[in-house]
Amino acid sequence: MCAASVIPGTTLGATRRIRPISSGAATGQLARQRPAQPVALTEAEAIRLAQAGNAAAFEFLYQLHGRRVYALCLRMVGNPADAEDLMQEAFLQLFRKIGTFRGESAFSTWLHRMTVNVVLMRLRKKSLPTDSLEETLEPDAENSAPKRDVGAPDLRLTGAVDRVNLERCIEKLPPGYRTVFVLHDVQGYEHNEIAGIMGCSVGNSKSQLHKARTRLRELLQEELRQQAREERKAAKSPTGSLD
Amino acid sequence: MHCKELESVLEVEGLGQLSKDTRLHVATCGECQGLLADLNSITAAAKTLPAEVNPPDRIWISLRAQLEAEGLIKESVGVSEKTSWWESFVAAWMPRTFAAVTAAALVLAAAVYVKRVPQNGGSDSAKKQTPVENSRPAQTQVAAVPPVSVLPANAAPAQGSVPAKTKELAPSPSESASFTLNQAELDVPNMQLAGNSQVDASLRQNLRTLNAFIAECELRLKQNPQDELAREYLYTAYQQKADLLAAMMESGRGDN
Repeated sequence: MCAASVIPGTTLGATRRIRPISSGAATGQLARQRPAQPVALTEAEAIRLAQAGNAAAFEFLYQLHGRRVYALCLRMVGNPADAEDLMQEAFLQLFRKIGTFRGESAFSTWLHRMTVNVVLMRLRKKSLPTDSLEETLEPDAENSAPKRDVGAPDLRLTGAVDRVNLERCIEKLPPGYRTVFVLHDVQGYEHNEIAGIMGCSVGNSKSQLHKARTRLRELLQEELRQQAREERKAAKSPTGSLD
Repeated sequence: MHCKELESVLEVEGLGQLSKDTRLHVATCGECQGLLADLNSITAAAKTLPAEVNPPDRIWISLRAQLEAEGLIKESVGVSEKTSWWESFVAAWMPRTFAAVTAAALVLAAAVYVKRVPQNGGSDSAKKQTPVENSRPAQTQVAAVPPVSVLPANAAPAQGSVPAKTKELAPSPSESASFTLNQAELDVPNMQLAGNSQVDASLRQNLRTLNAFIAECELRLKQNPQDELAREYLYTAYQQKADLLAAMMESGRGDN
């Protein structure tokens, strides 16, 4: 699920750069050619400059938030091609509307809200009419919680949750659950921030998160059962014959 | 407390600090213990997933082009700041040790250029760049060869090379620059007959990487001639290629 860069030197998980200016002796020759740079740029200053149409400010904001936005898009749609489209669309909307930003909420909250809206809109377009995108924001009595099958033995997940299985199961979550889970448990947003991003209450965010986790538990248990079945089948039929 | 009540508690309070009643129930209920343990495993595993992922650089390139097309970028700042991928690119293959070699290599590149470029008068470009080039008619393809021209006057030459003047890269066709560099590149293998060292291998790899980068920029310019960003990157890449070729020639001469 991780995107690779085609430009040498760019690696995943690289430290987020805050300053847009060049630095380092290796780039000294080119740096000397360039006009004087601002020593540092705060986000607020970059927003102000971007509202005036400053290209460097746009890029600064993109560099500042791009990685998290891309990670969110990637986890929501599961493939890099769609994630790239969505990310570009989200930033395009952001920069088109940046003149309306008044600082009433955090800029990242505003950006993530746009991103989530863009993603959910795309998922709605792709979904079949019968597919439910419920379990998003509205608490629904019928879907209030994934049922716990009290009679069936639960497989313990402790020590058995690996990244691959988890990512696979995250993709299977309904979009609303998926969004809250990724924002909270993966990206570390607090419930009050998530509430701002998703336009819901804090209580709703907590409820959705619990439901997401419980649903993930079910999916992971099913994943483990499936793997155990396949292993048993392979063990019984070493020659490959079907049982 | 019953198991259902635990669900409600977890829904409201999460997996943080549990109340005394909750802990008492969990201590006596295997199923709820299992539930809590699994949910904690899930959240712990989720924390190991990367919260940030580097997007491909083409997204910004495309985004910026779109912003310019829509007129949202009003001030042309040019490429005064390094973008992450450009900065990474230069840092990746332009180690600091090249700084000392570069100045001498530039003089050598100029000498090579003098030999390579035919003496016919070309377009009226511009400006003489160095005393070496000053000996030639100014109408030759001076503008097409970047290396000496872009060093600022306060650069510290390593081996007595003549400081060059800062020059604005004229927006002359990149084809002439590309042609000149490609001609110089043809000489390199001849001069590197004995060049099999790791340094030479590294230089050759760098050249391949740089050529790929130049090809990408040229393609972008071909698709959108107004793409100033790609143009600036391209000219800078030509500079770097000239430096690299000079270094490779220097290495080849030494070996030969």
